[in-house]
Amino acid sequence: MLATTTVVADLVREVAGPHLHVDCLMGPGVDPHSYRATPRDAGRLEAAGLVVACGLHLEGKLAEILERLAKRKPVVFAGEAVPADRLIPVAEQAVDPHVWFDPMLWRHAAKPVAVALGRIDPDHADDFAARAEAYAARLEQLDSRLRERLAAIAPKRRVLVTAHDAFGYFGRAYGVEVVGVQGVSTESEAGLADVNRLVSLIVERGIPTVFVETSVSDRNVEAICEGVRAKGGSVRVGGRLYSDALGEPGSGAETLVGMLEHNVRTIADGLVSP
Amino acid sequence: MTPQERLESLLAHNTLVVAGGVAAVGVAAAVVGCFGVLRRRALVGDAAAHATLPGIAAAFAITGRRELWVLLAGAAVSAIASLGAVTLIRRHSRTRDDAATAIVLGVSYGAGIAAISGLVARGVSGSAGLEAFLLGSTAALTLEDSLLVAVISVAVLAVVLAGLKEATLVAFDPAFAAAAGWPVGWIDAALTALTASMVVAAVPTAGAVLVTAMVVIPPAAARQWTDRLPPMLAVAGLVGFVSSLAGVVASAVVPKLATGPAVVLASSAAFLVSLGVRLLRTSRRPSGMSEP
Repeated sequence: MLATTTVVADLVREVAGPHLHVDCLMGPGVDPHSYRATPRDAGRLEAAGLVVACGLHLEGKLAEILERLAKRKPVVFAGEAVPADRLIPVAEQAVDPHVWFDPMLWRHAAKPVAVALGRIDPDHADDFAARAEAYAARLEQLDSRLRERLAAIAPKRRVLVTAHDAFGYFGRAYGVEVVGVQGVSTESEAGLADVNRLVSLIVERGIPTVFVETSVSDRNVEAICEGVRAKGGSVRVGGRLYSDALGEPGSGAETLVGMLEHNVRTIADGLVSP
Repeated sequence: MTPQERLESLLAHNTLVVAGGVAAVGVAAAVVGCFGVLRRRALVGDAAAHATLPGIAAAFAITGRRELWVLLAGAAVSAIASLGAVTLIRRHSRTRDDAATAIVLGVSYGAGIAAISGLVARGVSGSAGLEAFLLGSTAALTLEDSLLVAVISVAVLAVVLAGLKEATLVAFDPAFAAAAGWPVGWIDAALTALTASMVVAAVPTAGAVLVTAMVVIPPAAARQWTDRLPPMLAVAGLVGFVSSLAGVVASAVVPKLATGPAVVLASSAAFLVSLGVRLLRTSRRPSGMSEP
């Protein structure tokens, strides 16, 4: 079993339980949008019995290899199990791939993984299906915990200022306005007007904290904090949020459940206090 | 944006900080660039700019720090090494200037990209910002960054003006200068080192790919107006200054317009206007006479 990103690997491990071993192509802290496959990766993809990816063009530079692979062996695009009408369009024929930030959407991804695993290992098919259902239920519980935690933030302050817009689904699910510096792609450069607009927004609404991500540059965030202070506002840089990759083993954010709880705790701590 | 928002954006702290840094770099890069353009070595600055990338990656990999001065120190070492390599290739192989420059540019740029993407792909914490040096992140300059590049610019400018006589001789007539007993080799090396320093200071403001435009376009525009060095330096500096400010202003009032490219577009416009004016002036002259 080979999963592309840490988020996908976590899902497959939850469903597979002790029966199958799951490897992961990209390590923690890697940006899947710009990840390029090495010849060794191609070999690992060839050798794997089953490949599980997110799809929705998250694995930008890997997508073509995965599509070719799908003609020869089972490849599951777990993210594409999310109902199409719940996806956020970002451009013509493109959708925001960061669906795992809304557990109520990500729970749809468990079932197709269970079905694919059942075909590889028919003896445990029933167990996989049961584990997938149990995991979906845990994601539903997680959703209500996150909702409760974020309710403590005053509605005016529910603004998440961060380096790029990976948090669209999160914002929609929990009523948090998401303002990015760079836009969805991590490769476009911010102009001065964009920087100044964010500075004004932070000062006017009294937003106490902006956030940086583990896999994206924070140079823009530093410049914005300086601009806010020069305008007489006060803002600090909150803890790091996980976006495209989970944390290292032992960080507490090595599973999706742990990662979302870490993010929400960081956001709530940053935005609740004065 | 409303007119009120535009005005606020123009006078915002970040705009002033970026304007100060970029204008200082714009003037100094333009003045130093004149010598490169006159000696037909305009692309040497481009090679130095691309060669900053491996230095930036190495400085980060060794120290694990990402303050601008640490990265620029690494950039300076690799930029100067690359220009040394150009000189060595030119002197000891059968390769001419342009090919030697192209070889060094390609190799160092490739090494830089490989090193930076290697760091990023391994998920080394903090390495994500290094990619910004490829295309620049002008709008992200902080006050400290801006002061740093401004100080380098002023220092380079001061050295050039102090050694103006020597630099002029070498730029216009190296054979005569050598015959008159000037240490041409040393003056040449000093000018090259100044170009490299200027390129290093300009990389955070325009990015490695666009730096060459800040070093080459204003001198090329100034060349359309005059044949004498002192006025050329003044006009180039003015073009560099005005186009830097124009780019910063444009980026401050137009949303989603990146600052570095706006500066380069403004200086290109200045070059086109200068060229047009010169062609008009020449065509009005009686036939039989042309620009010397």
